[in-house]
Amino acid sequence: MTPIVTAVHLSKWYGQVSGLNDITVTIPPGITGLLGPNGAGKSTFMKLITGQLRPSQGQLSVMGEPAWGNPDLYRRMGFCPEQDAFYERMTGLEWVTALVRLSGYGEDEARQAARDALAVVDLLPVADRKIGAYSKGMRQRVKLAQALAHQPGLVVLDEPLTGMDPLMRRSTIRAIRQWAKQGRHVIVSSHILHEVEAMTSNILLINNGRIVADGDVHQIRDLLDMHPHTVSLRAAEPRLLARHLLREDGVLSLRLSGEYLVVETQRPDAFYARVTALAASGEAGTIAAIESTDDNLQAVFRYLVKA
Amino acid sequence: MTRPYWTSAWRVFDLSVGEMLWSRRTVFMALVVGLPVVVAVIVRVLDVFGIAALRVNGQAMGGTSLFGLMLWLLFLRFAVPVLAVFYGTALIADEVDDRTLTYLFTRPIPRGSVLIGKYFAYLACTALVVLPGVMLTYFLLTPVAQIGATFVSLLIDLGILAAGLTAYGALFALVGAWFRRPLVVAPAFVFGWESVVLLLPGSLKQLTVAYYLQGLVPHAMPADGGITALLQGLVTDVPSTAASLGALAAITVGALWLATREVERREYVLPQ
Repeated sequence: MTPIVTAVHLSKWYGQVSGLNDITVTIPPGITGLLGPNGAGKSTFMKLITGQLRPSQGQLSVMGEPAWGNPDLYRRMGFCPEQDAFYERMTGLEWVTALVRLSGYGEDEARQAARDALAVVDLLPVADRKIGAYSKGMRQRVKLAQALAHQPGLVVLDEPLTGMDPLMRRSTIRAIRQWAKQGRHVIVSSHILHEVEAMTSNILLINNGRIVADGDVHQIRDLLDMHPHTVSLRAAEPRLLARHLLREDGVLSLRLSGEYLVVETQRPDAFYARVTALAASGEAGTIAAIESTDDNLQAVFRYLVKA
Repeated sequence: MTRPYWTSAWRVFDLSVGEMLWSRRTVFMALVVGLPVVVAVIVRVLDVFGIAALRVNGQAMGGTSLFGLMLWLLFLRFAVPVLAVFYGTALIADEVDDRTLTYLFTRPIPRGSVLIGKYFAYLACTALVVLPGVMLTYFLLTPVAQIGATFVSLLIDLGILAAGLTAYGALFALVGAWFRRPLVVAPAFVFGWESVVLLLPGSLKQLTVAYYLQGLVPHAMPADGGITALLQGLVTDVPSTAASLGALAAITVGALWLATREVERREYVLPQ
């Protein structure tokens, strides 16, 4: 299979600071997870892939073409950036329509494409509301919509699940898998293995600007399971939620911090499934957001680097 | 194929103009433009009470002359360059600071067309605020009986202001693209370099925008008493209207061309 991305001795420096350091890697068709702690070089790699940055050294080709200064390639790519940045005064529909028009669509077809994309991310009911009034999860989803609306062959998603509630995470993960089934290629970054694992088993591990490992997720997963996993849950009733989670297998500790419940668990898979079920049933109150620090991932990377 | 350059620029204009118009910067712009209007209101009120706001050689200055003076001093030498500094230098910088540049630069359009589209958005926004402000000042200062006779000169004045916004905006778009601290360089150019050089003999003044705007003003200014003569005396060394228009056009096109080249070439690293 022809790789979607080929990097050969690719490096990127920001002045004296190294963002990516001499990586040689190919990304196959389908979904690929880019996993690494914050500051590992994931975003730099994605910005190089989407032509926002120019390689300092080495070669990079995306779908067989150089990415820097190649606007024709960008028609076949969609990018969902990590940053929470918008034209706040525009409605979701206006914003996505305007961006799709920049991809070469006429006014009417751009509006229809925007509506279709907003429907995919369940935002159609609030499409005419200003983005400034959107919740964090809605803002994440409208970013996804603009990345998809022009039907790109390659979708690059930088931490797309950040700030979403458990139910929205689940439906977004399903949607991403669905896009791949429709023949799109997806490169998705995260610092949470369990998120990536839910989408694909093909993973690139990146740390300190280098590819640490690539391939199947299972071996990495075993390593991760040796380290307790810390999760923060923002909940309307954190005490009630704590009571429900206290009984769960693998939960090592629970700590209340304002509207947050911070949980340390030895069995993250089961834990995430349980939290999603609780969010769906509402029996532990509203769970507004689920966040994971990358401390546990850092521990695995330290282990890998030592090994 | 990428979209044609001007189609892309038009779509960026369409995307940007609303955001630019309803930004905090527009409030600032209204304050800058409001200053001459406030002065005009004060002059009008004094006039009602029979007090002359300004006298030259003991002679009360007429409203038309006062308007000509304000056009040069408050609009062309202050409001227009100040607005061009704040908008022109920020065409791309705002998108970088707001971290929205990503959405534009990952679309199949030439990067230069982003700058051009935003430049035209700047022109539309500033013209929408400045030109009505000038008209208001004109109607406040000009005696009703003289409005019919001087209305054509008002239209010419509006054209001169538009030329100023166009040329200064392009120049400061270039300053914004080239320099890391454009808000130091651009005011230094307007209030340092231009102010000093315009007073010096010799040809250095040809390296300013104000010189060519100045070339348009005396020709357009109505002959109305001493102040006009005073102003025309100050700006004796002026190029012809044709030379001024040609130079302003060259400055605009040249600066925009260089600015788009820089934007095409440069990497923008957004703050996290």
